[in-house]
Amino acid sequence: MTQPIIQIKQVSLAFDQFKALDGVSLSVNKGQCIVICGPSGSGKSSLLRCINGLEPFQSGDIWVDGVGVRGCKNLPALRLSVGMVFQHFELYPHMTVLENLTLAPIKAKGMSQSEAKKLAMHYLDRVGIADQADKHPARLSGGQQQRAAIARSLTLEPKAMLFDEPTSALDPELISEVLQVMRNLAKDGMTMLVVTHEMGFAREVADEIVFMDHGQIIEQAPVTTFFGAPRTERAKDFLQKILGKI
Amino acid sequence: MDWAVVTANAPLLIKGLITSLKLAAVAIALSFPLGCLVAIGRLSHRAWLSMLCGGFVNVLRSNPLILILFWFYFLMPILIGKSINDLTSILCAFVIFFGAYFGEIIRSGIQSVGHRQIQAGLSSGLSYRQTMQHIVLPQAIRAMLPALTTQCILVLQGTTVAYVVGYDELLHTTAMIAERTGRPTEMYLTVALIYFLICYGGSLVARKFEKVQGR
Amino acid sequence: MRYEFNWGMLTQPPYSEWIIDGVWTTFHLALICWVLALTLGILIGVCRVTNSRILRFFGTAYVEVFRNIPLLVQLFIWLFVIPQLLPEEFSSWWNRLDAVPYWTAVVGISFYTSSRVAEQIRSAIMAIPQGQFKAALSTGLTPFQMYRYVIMPYALRIIIPAITSEFLTTFKNTSLALTIGVMEITATTRKIEAWSFRGIEAYAVASLTYVLTTLLVIALMTWLEKKYHIPGLIKRDTGHH
Repeated sequence: MTQPIIQIKQVSLAFDQFKALDGVSLSVNKGQCIVICGPSGSGKSSLLRCINGLEPFQSGDIWVDGVGVRGCKNLPALRLSVGMVFQHFELYPHMTVLENLTLAPIKAKGMSQSEAKKLAMHYLDRVGIADQADKHPARLSGGQQQRAAIARSLTLEPKAMLFDEPTSALDPELISEVLQVMRNLAKDGMTMLVVTHEMGFAREVADEIVFMDHGQIIEQAPVTTFFGAPRTERAKDFLQKILGKI
Repeated sequence: MDWAVVTANAPLLIKGLITSLKLAAVAIALSFPLGCLVAIGRLSHRAWLSMLCGGFVNVLRSNPLILILFWFYFLMPILIGKSINDLTSILCAFVIFFGAYFGEIIRSGIQSVGHRQIQAGLSSGLSYRQTMQHIVLPQAIRAMLPALTTQCILVLQGTTVAYVVGYDELLHTTAMIAERTGRPTEMYLTVALIYFLICYGGSLVARKFEKVQGR
Repeated sequence: MRYEFNWGMLTQPPYSEWIIDGVWTTFHLALICWVLALTLGILIGVCRVTNSRILRFFGTAYVEVFRNIPLLVQLFIWLFVIPQLLPEEFSSWWNRLDAVPYWTAVVGISFYTSSRVAEQIRSAIMAIPQGQFKAALSTGLTPFQMYRYVIMPYALRIIIPAITSEFLTTFKNTSLALTIGVMEITATTRKIEAWSFRGIEAYAVASLTYVLTTLLVIALMTWLEKKYHIPGLIKRDTGHH
């Protein structure tokens, strides 16, 4: 049995008195696309931030490609195996798109300028914005910025990608171009963990859905089961509210 | 009014002005790096360092510049064990005093960049130092330019305080001329105009930076 | 380092009396200047945001002049220059005043501080949503009433931090009055140092005065802010001290 790319075991995270995560366990196998959904404050984003060591959790452990996160001595190196895409894109405003992509390969991976540039242009092309390479982020639309952010993570050629509500900050007409990129990524076999409210995307692309509430995993099931016959009341409730809007 | 007094003493005034400008320039050149260190210290995760720098800033900002000047003027010969020249005491006072003010500006500039940019940098495999160097500081400096410019103007205005220890910067020079010639009106109005032109010009530069930053 | 401490001397006359006088002078000088600066500053600040171009120009000129000339230079001008330029009757009345240096300092520091207050009032007013002005006027209030009953109370709450910080700045600026002969606390401690050669003890008293006052005022400001807090209003960080 091959090892899951991401293995989360009994992770708990608390901020002062507030318990953000309470004994969460999850495995993500190679090539899987798992969508995490749930109400605000359920701990979805915190979970993602624990995976790449941005948030130091108090108990349990997480392994990324076999490397434990909790006692990890070299977090920068670990973060090269798992890319992260943020809700507000977080491109560096003072650099061009190309410079945004080549910064980490050069500084963190030690690539040469030309190697990094070639790789960056390849991924910019893959997400469809190769012609925006020399522009500053402020000149791009929201959808283009998020695609650039995805390309920025891809340029590090990670084993898995974490998406933290990638389309929540986008105008409605720009959401589809980003979802398309993510769809293609999943098709090409990228291991993905996606926090999102986009149930259409989840239904079409995801292998499994994880429903979280109050820091715990309430329900976890293959896509068809989750949408067809949710087991728990809370999941049913949530689905009704989300899908009732469409 | 007899404005000929001004023209007659112009060389002396210019000399005084240059002294003031030099004093301000050296003070800025030394207190800015000190401010950087203080800011980084305040943002450190080590509680003792953060509190030490915080204490430093708060104590210095609670005292008037003129009193800090007296402290150094009095204390330095005793501490060092021999008499040192005026300029050294004055500079030490200025550097320590303005270092605290620069430290505050730099600290809030760094904090204005926002922790999410830091997260973005860290999550792409950059070390904390690399993230600060390539992502946070360039943005912070751009954000701080208006406040830094204003602070530099305040340093220049602060040089007038050196008058009280007899240092021959512009105000002291003017006072001497005014007393000697018995024409304080012309002299002081002239020096006010000189300071006004420089400081107002500086404030226009600061405003320019503020507009550019709105990009 | 060779230095003999003698803290006890501070409690003996004449030093103890000088210190008490000096601290008292510093406080009442700072308070008078602050109150005058607030009054004048509010007027000028409002000028800068009115619709009248003349008033706006006047307000801007006022602020720029007093902001860009060092306070010490301004004090000297008030001391040496203005009396010369004013009519005879005023000069002779002024010169016969009991404490010309003191009142000169009051005038000088007040005008300087008022320009800073004007700036803060202006930013506070500009931070108030436009809708408030329109709503007030549409209920039939005159512009003056609008400012008096709607805008100023709103603005003042926003600038509580800035105003208290301005008091602290004024408090520190009183030290410059020593150059024109006012015996506030810094001047007093310098005199003590000159008489006793015990500079550390002397200046420590001055520093202590400033630091303790600062701590007290900040505590007061925090209490005031909590008490008069407008729920839902995002607090502005003025950054100044």
